Amino acid sequence: MSAEIAEAQLQVRFITKQEQYAVPDSPYAIQSNIQSTELNTLINALLKETNSSLEKAVEFDFLVCGELLCTSLAEHLQEKGASTEETLEIEYLERFPAPAPQDCLMHDDWVSTVHANSNWILSGCYDNSIHIWSTKGQHKLAIPGHTSPVKAVSWVSFNGDQAVFASGSHDQSAMLWVWNVPNNSVDCVVTCRGHDKGVECLAVSADANRFATGSWDNNVCLWTTSLSDEDNVPAKKRSKPEHGNTREPLSTLKGHREAVSGVQWMDFNTVLSSGWDHLLKLWDCELGGIKQEIAGNKAFFDVDWSPLNNSIITASADRHIRLYDPRSTESIVKTTFTSHTGWVQSVRWSKTRDTLFLSAGYDGQVKLWETRSPRTPLYDLSGHEDKVLCCDWSNPALLVSGSSDNTLRIFKAKHYESA
Amino acid sequence: MPPFRNGLLKRKASSVESNQNVSSKATDESEDGSADEDLLRGELDTAADATDSEHQDGEEAASDHEQDEVLFDDSADSTFGDDDQADIASDESSDLTDSEADDESENDDDDDSDKEDNSDDYEASVDSGAESGVTHTHSGASDSETDTPEKKQVKVSKATKQIPDSDIKPRGIKNAKQKSSKESEHRTKKQDKTKSKTDDSIDRLADTIQKASVNIQPVGLKDEYESGDTSDEEDRRNTVGSVPMWWYNEYPHVGYDTDGRRIIKPPQRDQIDDFLKKCEDPDFWRTVRDPSTGQDVVLSKQDLELIHRLREGHVPDAAHDDYQPWVEWFSREVLATPLRAFPEHKRSFLPSRSEQQQVARIVHALKMGWTKTRKQLADERRSKREKHFYNLWGSAASEEEERQRGIHKHIPAPRRALPSHAESYNPPPEYLLDAKELKEWNKLSETPWKRKYTFLPTRHASLREVPAYERFTRERFLRCLDLYLAPRAIKMRLTIGPDDLVPKLPAPRDLQPFPTAEALQLRGHVGLVRSADFDPSGQYIVSGGDDATVKVWETSTGRCLRSIAVECAVSRVAWGPAPGLSLVAAAAGARLLLLNPGADIGAHRVAARTDELLDEPPPQHDVQADPRTASCAEWQRVSPEQWARGVRLSVLHFRAVTHVAWHARGDYVCVSLADAASRAVVVHQLSRRRSQLPFSRNKGLVQCAIFHPTRPLLFVATQRVVRVYDLVRQELVRKLLTGAQWVSHMAVHPAGDNLLVASYDRKLIWFDLELSSKPYQTLRLHGGAVRCVAFHRRYPLFASAGDDEHIVVSHGMVYNDLLQNPLLVPLKQLRCGPPAQQLCVLELRWHPTQPWLLAAQADSTLRLYT
Repeated sequence: MSAEIAEAQLQVRFITKQEQYAVPDSPYAIQSNIQSTELNTLINALLKETNSSLEKAVEFDFLVCGELLCTSLAEHLQEKGASTEETLEIEYLERFPAPAPQDCLMHDDWVSTVHANSNWILSGCYDNSIHIWSTKGQHKLAIPGHTSPVKAVSWVSFNGDQAVFASGSHDQSAMLWVWNVPNNSVDCVVTCRGHDKGVECLAVSADANRFATGSWDNNVCLWTTSLSDEDNVPAKKRSKPEHGNTREPLSTLKGHREAVSGVQWMDFNTVLSSGWDHLLKLWDCELGGIKQEIAGNKAFFDVDWSPLNNSIITASADRHIRLYDPRSTESIVKTTFTSHTGWVQSVRWSKTRDTLFLSAGYDGQVKLWETRSPRTPLYDLSGHEDKVLCCDWSNPALLVSGSSDNTLRIFKAKHYESA
Repeated sequence: MPPFRNGLLKRKASSVESNQNVSSKATDESEDGSADEDLLRGELDTAADATDSEHQDGEEAASDHEQDEVLFDDSADSTFGDDDQADIASDESSDLTDSEADDESENDDDDDSDKEDNSDDYEASVDSGAESGVTHTHSGASDSETDTPEKKQVKVSKATKQIPDSDIKPRGIKNAKQKSSKESEHRTKKQDKTKSKTDDSIDRLADTIQKASVNIQPVGLKDEYESGDTSDEEDRRNTVGSVPMWWYNEYPHVGYDTDGRRIIKPPQRDQIDDFLKKCEDPDFWRTVRDPSTGQDVVLSKQDLELIHRLREGHVPDAAHDDYQPWVEWFSREVLATPLRAFPEHKRSFLPSRSEQQQVARIVHALKMGWTKTRKQLADERRSKREKHFYNLWGSAASEEEERQRGIHKHIPAPRRALPSHAESYNPPPEYLLDAKELKEWNKLSETPWKRKYTFLPTRHASLREVPAYERFTRERFLRCLDLYLAPRAIKMRLTIGPDDLVPKLPAPRDLQPFPTAEALQLRGHVGLVRSADFDPSGQYIVSGGDDATVKVWETSTGRCLRSIAVECAVSRVAWGPAPGLSLVAAAAGARLLLLNPGADIGAHRVAARTDELLDEPPPQHDVQADPRTASCAEWQRVSPEQWARGVRLSVLHFRAVTHVAWHARGDYVCVSLADAASRAVVVHQLSRRRSQLPFSRNKGLVQCAIFHPTRPLLFVATQRVVRVYDLVRQELVRKLLTGAQWVSHMAVHPAGDNLLVASYDRKLIWFDLELSSKPYQTLRLHGGAVRCVAFHRRYPLFASAGDDEHIVVSHGMVYNDLLQNPLLVPLKQLRCGPPAQQLCVLELRWHPTQPWLLAAQADSTLRLYT
């Protein structure tokens, strides 16, 4: 059987959506046991013929029947149940270059959360501290302030020398910080108190005016990010003398029956939250009600939504990553990505490419996925020696992950071009 | 004369009917004509009175008596001779009707012989009077010609002949009677025949009288014919038409002429007259009688020639040339004026319907297999010629099966050999065994199949001396014994496979979710982890072990958040179920410690409230100084140092604490003490800092005691029995007999109606409290002692683990329907860590909301299975 397959000839036609790599649209007969590397050389040879200006070999990925080719072509077709008789259309696209390990930032304790922007990396730690690092790996600041492990951090805004970020912790509070970059001094501007139990997750809206926190008390709270109290806090609260600035939530979204594990903004009015009660909920912030519910069958640990493809990926209490479509009313998993061997704790979409996302699992692996390849990730970013608790791809050039081996690892996405 | 004769002859030849009439007339006349003589005469006389031409003819005839008589005689001797013909006919008839009436013929025998005598006489006279051979041939030919019609006619004549005999006495009404009888003669023939038997003698007498009294009256009608023209004659002759002429037997006339006058019969002659006429008349041989008129007609030479030609089979016309040249009218030559010039009929272009039917019939026959085509026949012949092979190796299946398979070739069993001489009762001496052979025979008694014969040839002097089969009695006896001792019965064999005995359980994949794989390992303890528990929300895990620490873990990450050191090894930890309190009961040695895990763990407010509640001392009047209780358990003040570590309350017991169980509301803790006899179970009330000893008597070695989740019941497991006490009424409600040797642990189903008991002898015993106090089911799922069991609070799951390296997760569905028994399905064996000190799993806990299982293991880890 396999021998037959190996000997079989296939008629293929190569198509691409990247114009600079177009090859003549004529069918080629190839051996069916060909692998993607051989296809790569073939395409490069063809490109050399047509376009002599291309001096360097380009790595390509091949999409066959809507799925990335990882095994030999024959096996792939057999798996897909596609016919080997007809002319096969193989779409190829430039392969996302392999991220290179760039740095390893040592912490004193487990790194529970991380968020990067263009220049700076914010990390939360189980020793109750927040750390600011430059993307080059330079430790800028360690900020004690929380009294419990920091579970969520996020940059809010950059305004010249002043950077604002928010953090949530198991001490049941979220804090808004202002970091004066030149002075390298940080100040806790507002302490947001409203949760009864530890804050588990935090997300800042796209316009950076509000942020949402999810907590173990089953609630999602919405807060404003304004640094001054006057325009937000009700009068009676303001009159109340308190140490520092304490802020009440704009609104509390109650509906989850168990802990809220992940929260994301979809637009200025919609918040997506995932909970241990096996539910994904889409909240309407104005009305404070539930727009939509997606039921899973495992407790969700993390959720992320991408504006590029309007899809939700979730990490849950098993080794699968599931892709949901919020537009579909049925709770049907569109794709299941399986490669991790332990719990997947964190998932993050790429901010620039709609088919790529990052996942961090308890098997010590960070994986870079392509949505069209549900079995095999594009790259395994290994290096961590223990459970990876968080990952971040907010800076398109940096793939950051924090682990329980007290390290934060940075991988650099090379030659990055937006597709 | 020739024309008349010609016409007469023509008529004779043309119609057989007339011929018959002639013969019948003749017979009639011969038989009973004489009897009617008187009547006929009378009529003649009356006719004579009427002055008519015919009458004159009659007169003339009378005058020409001589000639007429000759004529009459001639007729008597002619081919259609009356008596001769009649007698032969009657003979034939008797022969023919023999089958019809045998008895009659027998009775008539003498009569017939009598007649025959007469006829013989006549025959002889005829022969003597015969003048030429032509006559004879003529008569023979006429016989053969008129044979078949005569037969019929003879029957008729016979019947008619007998009728007058029977009616001899009533002479007056004879005519009418005869007429009627003639009409119905066919119907009454048989009756008449039977009558004739009786009247035979009378008949004979009448015959003789007739013969004697015959008056010969020649009829002279000859000149009339001579004078008349031929065509006229035909009309004048007789107008009665083709009616049977014997209708006129009884009358003097034979019909009517064209004028309606009677044609009077010529006078009748008897045989003597005939004979005389024959002798005298040279033309007698060619004289015939015209039946329609009764006249004698002399055949002319032309007539004779015509008759001769007819007899020879030639064309009657002498002028006919048989060999005239042949003109081929219908030849292959196309004529200028064709004989058939009309076009082909339309029918000839249409397919023939009859042909079509024939073809259809043949096709149908072919279909039905009644006929076969040439090809089929050829095939059959070929197949007959071919060799046939027998299915020698086919299975000895039943006939029906063979027929189904198309095996029809029957191979008969080989024929048995014919009996040899040795089998004879008196075999030749060479077949008898001599002494040597007999010796060999006896030698082979052990192996009888090697003998020369299957029997011993024996000589008997005669067959009579052959004895009966000597083993007959014995074999019949054995057969009876078989039938008696081994009666036949239909055996119903039960075909129950081992799989059928196993109850049908649903597939585990249908019973998801349940933990299937290890997700987290919580490492941090040193030594055995004795116990573990989840906090009510499932966010944290508390564990205690031999390293004298109580550790608090974060469930989702496995992070150890807090480690509280206590004085001695922790045997049991249990997180308080009250949502408003953050308390962990830990059994360390003889102490029961109530810990508040800390402000960072769980809600601050709850932790603070717990501290507040426990900080203030209880009202003193509640503290009762019961000496028995006081000696058993002592509430101790917590030192500030311990407080700082998280210990909020401490109860010191007089024996080591083996088991701690919270009441569902979180105010009571039930503690089991080791080796404490009647004080083995202590119930502490936290709010009042008070202890109770519910039992005053020692009921056995208490293993553990737990509260019912909803009702005020306390389950106390001793070594072999689980007792259920009502705490309000302070009495024993039930006693559950486990059947196990040594109970290790038990768990109550969250609904409260089912109890699961683990025992050290590898059993897991499920009690349905509603059902009975006997085990509902005993599960043997483990290879070693079972140390712990746990029910999930939400999912229909329970797990058990012990000293073997497996945790067994089972589905335990309890239905609200009381009629439906719980469904227990073992689902999954989870591999646990390596055993340490021959212990493996010491405590199992289910996550309060997720289907996750936590196992406190002897290899100093806690494992979370999801």
